Order: sequence, then C-alpha cells, then structure tokens
Amino acid sequence: MEQVLAFALLGLGPGALYSGIALGVVLNYRGCGVINVAMGAIAALGAYVAYGLRTGGYLFLPPLPLVPAHVNFGGPVGVVPALVIAVLVCALTGLLLDVLVLRALRNASPLAKLMATLGLMLSIQAIILLRFGSSGQSAPDVLPNGPGDVVHLLGVTIPSDEFELAGIVAVAAFALVAIYRWTRFGLATRAASENETTAVLVGLPPARLSAMNTVLAASLAGALGVLVAPLTQLDSTTIPLAVVPALGAALLARFTSFGIAMVAGLGLGVIESLVTYLQSRPWFPTTHGAQLPGVADLLFFAIIVAAMYWRGGALPYRGSLVERRLPAVPKPVRLQRPAIVCAVLCITAFLLFTYDFRQAAINSLIGMLVCLSLVVITGFVGQISLLQVALGGVAAFAVSKLSMSAGIGFPLGPIFGVVIASLVGVAAAASALRVRGVNLAVVTLAGAVALQSFVFDNPTWGGGFTGSPVNPPHLFGVDLSTQASFPTGGGQLPSPVFGLVCTVAVIMAGLLVASVRRGRLGQQMLAVRSNESAAAAAGISVRNVKLLAFGLASALAGVAGSLYAYNFGSVTADRFGVVNALVFVSFAYVGGITSVTGAVLAGLGVTEGVFGHILEKWVGVPASYQLYVAGLLLMATLITLPEGIAGGRRPPPPIRAISRLIVGPGRARRTSAAVGATQGGATS
Amino acid sequence: MTAVLETRALSVSYGGVRALADVDVEVGEGQLVGLIGPNGAGKTTWIDAVCGFVPATGETRLDGRTISGMPPTARARAGLGRTWQAAELFDDLTVRENLSVAADRRPMWRLVGEALTGRESDPPNVESTLELLGIGELADVAADELTQGQRKLVGVARALAPGPRVVCLDEPAAGLDSAESRALGQRLRQVVDSGVAMLLVDHDMGLVLGVCDRVVVLEFGRVIAAGPPEVVRRDPKVTEAYLGRAAQESQAILDASAIGTGT
Repeated sequence: MEQVLAFALLGLGPGALYSGIALGVVLNYRGCGVINVAMGAIAALGAYVAYGLRTGGYLFLPPLPLVPAHVNFGGPVGVVPALVIAVLVCALTGLLLDVLVLRALRNASPLAKLMATLGLMLSIQAIILLRFGSSGQSAPDVLPNGPGDVVHLLGVTIPSDEFELAGIVAVAAFALVAIYRWTRFGLATRAASENETTAVLVGLPPARLSAMNTVLAASLAGALGVLVAPLTQLDSTTIPLAVVPALGAALLARFTSFGIAMVAGLGLGVIESLVTYLQSRPWFPTTHGAQLPGVADLLFFAIIVAAMYWRGGALPYRGSLVERRLPAVPKPVRLQRPAIVCAVLCITAFLLFTYDFRQAAINSLIGMLVCLSLVVITGFVGQISLLQVALGGVAAFAVSKLSMSAGIGFPLGPIFGVVIASLVGVAAAASALRVRGVNLAVVTLAGAVALQSFVFDNPTWGGGFTGSPVNPPHLFGVDLSTQASFPTGGGQLPSPVFGLVCTVAVIMAGLLVASVRRGRLGQQMLAVRSNESAAAAAGISVRNVKLLAFGLASALAGVAGSLYAYNFGSVTADRFGVVNALVFVSFAYVGGITSVTGAVLAGLGVTEGVFGHILEKWVGVPASYQLYVAGLLLMATLITLPEGIAGGRRPPPPIRAISRLIVGPGRARRTSAAVGATQGGATS
Repeated sequence: MTAVLETRALSVSYGGVRALADVDVEVGEGQLVGLIGPNGAGKTTWIDAVCGFVPATGETRLDGRTISGMPPTARARAGLGRTWQAAELFDDLTVRENLSVAADRRPMWRLVGEALTGRESDPPNVESTLELLGIGELADVAADELTQGQRKLVGVARALAPGPRVVCLDEPAAGLDSAESRALGQRLRQVVDSGVAMLLVDHDMGLVLGVCDRVVVLEFGRVIAAGPPEVVRRDPKVTEAYLGRAAQESQAILDASAIGTGT
C-alpha cells in the first residue's frame, strides 16, 4: 500500500508539467480561440534556455541569417536569472506567435489556427535538434533536491519538489481564476470570448487581449518547463509531446475551467505513475518478458474518449465577427486529361530521374496518398483526424506481419492491410461520432499516440526498436520491388518499377477522390460538413456518411502505409508516429486540404519529397534544417493563404497557370482551374 | 379527411421550462395549416420536436404511422420535410446540388457504385421544383452567394425536392418584402394544391391568414385557438396574445369607429 501511495505521489511532478501546459492551452483558447499544440514545445524551449544558461552560460538563438548561434554570458548563470530569462524568451515567443501569426488568422478556420501552432511546435523542435542534437540532456536541479529535501508521509519518503511543483500549479490555477474573475483584463477576455462583436462595440481591443493571454500562457508553460525538466528527460520530443495529455486535461476542462485543467493534469501524471507501478507487479501482462510499452498512453486515450461521452458536446461557442469555415471545395471539371497528363509526367520522371530523385518522387507519391486520405476526411467531411498516418502504420505492420509469419505476400497482404486499416478507422470513427471539430483533433491525436506507443513500439505486434521486415512484392512472377531490375535507372535503388507501382496507386486514388467529389456522395459529404442538422433534415444519414468517409480515408491511408512498407523493406514505429502525423496534416493543409490538387502539392512538399530534395541538392539547405524551414514555411503560408495554396476559391496565379496546362481550359465560371479540381457551377 | 401529420399531447421541456405543453396539431391531406403565436410561443420548438431534433413526449404521427422516437434522417425519409429560420443551406454546394443531394434517396451502396464508375444522374424532381419556386435561373449559383430572400426560397425548394408528404416551413417569408411575400404565398398555395400538405410558421399575418386553410395559435407552449383564418382573426384571446389587453381595447374602439363611419 505504501508503494502505491509513493508511486501516486511521484506522479505529481510530471503531472505538474501536464497541468501547467493544460493551463496554458486553456488560457490561449479563452484568449483567442486557438488550440495551441505548441504549448508543450514552448515549455521545452524554456527548459532548454535555462539548461543552456546554467550549464554553458549562453543563450541559444534560432538559426537565422547573420544571427550568431549563441549569446555568451561569460560563465554559468544562476538559477533565478536563468528562470527569468527562460520565461522572458517564452513570453517573447508567445508575443511573436500572437502578433505575427494568430492575429493574421483571427478569422481563419479553427483548423488553420491549430496548424499555425503546429508550425511553431515543429520549428521549436527543429531548433532544439539543431542546437542540442538528438541524444537528449539531463537538466540541473531547480528546486532544492538534496538528500534532506524529502517529505515523510504515511510511511513513505517522497522528494519535496513533487509537492512543491503541485503547489506551484495549484497557485497558478487559483491566480488565473482570480485574474479572470476580478480584474478588468479577465472580465474583458471573458466578454470577448463570449462575443467578439459586442466586445468591439464597448471598446475593448480583442487583439491586445489575445496577445496578453498568449504571452501569459507561454510564460506559464515555459516556467513549468524549466521547473519540471530535472524530473523528466530533456530532448526534442518528451516535453513537447507532453501537450497530448495536457490537451486531454484541457478537454476535460472544456477548454474553460482552470481548476479542472489543473486537477486533471495532476491526475493524469498520477495515473501514469501508477501504471508504472502496476507494470512492476509480477501479474501484469508483459511481452516476451519485457514491459508492455505505451499502457499509460492507451489509458490516456481511453480517459479522453470517456470524457468526451461524459462531458459531451462541442467546445463552448466562441462568438466572432466572421463565421469560420473550412476552405471551399472545388469541383473537378474533368478527370481523364489530368490523370493522363500526370501519368505521363510520372512515367517520364521515373525513366529519366537519377536514383536520388526517384526516391524523393516515391516519397512524394506516398505522401500524396496520405494527403488524399486527409482531403476526404477533413476537406470533404470537415472531420479533423490526426489518426490517418497511424492507420497507415496499422496497414504497414499488417503487411509486414502477414508477409513474415503467415507467408501472405503481394497483393493479398496489402489488401488485408488496407481492410484492417479501414476497419480500425471505422471503429475509431464509430466511437467518436459525436465528437467533431478541434475536439476530434484532440481525441485522434491521443489515439495516434496510443497506437504508436502501445502497438507499433510493441516488439511482438509492431516493430519494437529494430523494425519489422517485409518481403519484396511480386505479382505473377514479376518483381515489383525497389530492387527490381529495369533497363533504365543504372541498377541503383530504388528501381523505376516500384515508382511506377506507386504512380498507378496514386492516379487511381486521385481519380477516386475526384470522382467522389463530383458525385452525389461528395455532395452528401459537403452537406454534412456544412450543417449536420440540415443534412439530417434533408434525409442524409450523417452517421453513414461519416463512417463511409472514415472508411475511404482509412483505406487510402492503408494503401500509403503498405507502399511505405515495401519502400523501405522494413516497418519502423517512428515513421507512423505522432510527429509525422502532425507534419503530414500541416503539409496537407498548406497544399490545400480540400482538393486533389492540394494533395498533389502537399505530397511534393513532404519531408524527403521532391521539393525537399531540390532544396537540399540545388539550393543547399541541409536535410537537418528542413523541419525548421517546414515549420516556418507552414506559418508563413497560413498567414498569406489561410485556406492553403490550392484550397481557396482563387489559388495563386502560378498554380492556376500550371493547372490550366494539366487540366485544360476550364469551363467553369470561376477561373480556379487546378489539377483535376475546378471550382464552379458547371455541373453536368 | 385523413391527417397527414398530427401531434397528440406533444410536450417539450428545457430544464424546468415547459416549451410545449400537450400540443395537438393536425395537418390534413392537401391542407395548408398556419402555426402562429408571439415570440417564444414554441412554434419552432414544435417543428424541432416533430422532426426529431429535440426530445419530446407525446405522439407524432405521419400518415397514421407513429414516428415518435425516430431520428431526424428517418423521419425525413418517411416523407417529412422542413425548412429553417436561417435557411441553413449547404453553403459549399450550388443551388441545384442543394436540391439534388436532398432529393436523392438512393441507398449508399448505389452512390458508391456511381462514384466508382463516374456516372452521374440527377433525381427527377429538381428542375421542376426550381421552376415551381421561380428560382430556375439560380440553379448554378453557389449557395453562399445568394441574398437572404433567395436563401429562404432555396430552403423551401430543398425541402420540397424529395417529394415529401408534408413540409414544415419555419418563417419562409422573413426577410422578404411584402410583394415577394405575396408571391411566395401564391407559390405555396400551388404546392399545396399539387398534393403536398404544409405547415407554415410565419410572422407575416397577411401571408398566414391569406393563404392558410386553418390556423393554430400557440402562446406559452399551449394551443389557445384553432380554426379557419376568419374565425381565429376575430378570436379575442388571439388579439390579446399578440397585442396585449390595452391594444385589444383600442382595437375595439377602432372597430367601433369603423362601423360608425360605415367603411
């Protein structure tokens, strides 16, 4: 019993981190209606600033032209100044985020805002990787942590900082409650989040309120990052991804209540610690004698799903000046010509390209499939799913396991893989039918984390640390693999044959998605996206449409996952991990989440894709900087084109010109012709 | 005459507030029934309850078959159409698509097949419904580019396109000027004469009393009067509900003076 208590109390420290980030998320939501997924990354930023100051006496700066990497203070800095500087850096980050990015996106869709904070998260992670490497550090103590700094309670001895951290977030939460209840600033924010219009009418500047809240949120998260870092790992993912349980806590608090967010954060920390205790018991299931990975993540996911049922419904409505909608969904005027042109382009490319560009093109084609999946589920039906990449992983591991242990190869293996991915996708959708919008984003994010750590990291079901191998694909004795021999290509990997396989898959998927958009099914999806009540009143089964869309999107993701498996000959967990999932969603949004054209652009842009390879080879941007550049580009694109490059009614002229070449002159009244995607009234 | 749509003792409570209390309404075959009442009387709540959007007690029957407890989609597919005060069009679709997506009641596997083969077909009623409401020229306009009055008409057209047995219209004339409102009334009359029963909620008394066969008056969630328009018009309870007692007295004075001058 003492041990249970000890483990429970040892969860307070990590719980304090979740609490602090959750408070930041709630603050940011109330301040300007953004779900800030970068709050964990901001905490990590604070932790690293303090780490650099205290161990090396320097302040690291982001990689920018003409800016030095470090500012030296001439020797290690003390605890308090380091904490102060770290919080100031986080406050400045929050201010820049608000003024430069969120203000420009004030009337954009909630998804666009979420994507923008994702850009910040990726940038911060990339900066940490560039400045400190990927191996991780251990932060020096902030709170006193000597042998005497312990608390004896009911027979157990617990380091006192666990209690101090819990106390600090409790004080922070109560302070926030007090500020929101009794200060003019707090009242004004509440007024603005109720109704921005009236807040403007009575002369309260929502822009300044939003900035103040974002700065406050970032400072709080940064401070907690500095304080909790000694208790956890200091690297580019651990603290940034602490945002997942924190989002769960914020969801429990309906993105409104500071008190509930604080308690829920601490509670999740305690639960996580108790899971660690339970896993040390002999009766707890193991996998080949080793601990099951990801049990806590699975539990977090279950808690979040249960909370969605229990608390029900959507986020509190945030009144605003302009109705926020997802980007318009252009209707393709024709299918054959763009399909043929793209096929010819791809075939030519695979015959002529050198091996490195062939690999980049294959990565891009597979990326396009993932993005097409997102076009269906998010673009057409308006459901923000961060689960699609993980569903690709489900298919990939299925292909691998079927191939290695059951001897089921191509094409049956991928077919089973796609079916399994679809079933998992539909099951996930069925359990989350009542959840929509950014709530669904939070739930599916937790689901993706759970799938990654509980299934993919598992050495038996998934890839473990080494990855899970795949036999190369053969069809009627013809080698379709990356090693297939081919007259051109110089015998180097990957073979053009595999590129052609990917081309066929992408063209068929693109045609299918465009055809869905043109037909009644697509209209039903858009009707559900516009207005679920009106769709139901018009006799459309909202449930069936959503389930079908999830099934189709999951199948597309499954095709992508199967091709990934064959592409690398081995399936690893991190490729289908949550960071990659976020990267894909952001590329899909920037390309244009509502059209096949957008998916094609997004696929070209994905990491290790064609654009990235061009940047690396011809422009000289090293691959290690690509995540950083991608994060910054994501924010920049969202500011200039809040609907994505091909997502709006009027894509930029160069995109229109290229797509006119591929699609042919549009018959539509609105001239936003794009690859297989033209907006307009020409319905027949 | 058989009732196409009827409610028996329909009641809805929001928390402690009784929004509808034992409301009986009947819409007969080929009838246009008006449902009127002051703001907050429960008119929209009645439509929401009948169409399955709010939980209600009591019974709702469509063509004699009870539909209480069915989800909105099933009620719509059983032949019940409705419109919304704020039109609630599908803004990502054109006007024609708004109608055809509602009118197409084929099972989903047929639609999947259509997507796979790339063949498209429009349901039959769409063009004629557009013409009936005089919005044929708007067919290819995107729904979010319409004026408020046009949106209302498209909302009515969308409810009629599937060929329902009965439609409930929630303030279709709000936002229309009086000439447009009169034109709408004539078109609604045509629709009813073509065999669709209709329930009309509106604040335009001229419209409701002018075109309806029967009028039901709600106040505070209860039926206070029902009958032919000319009867309801003279019912003192109705005048009081709408204008208050003082107004009723002044109305009496006005009526008296009108008799006195012989007009």
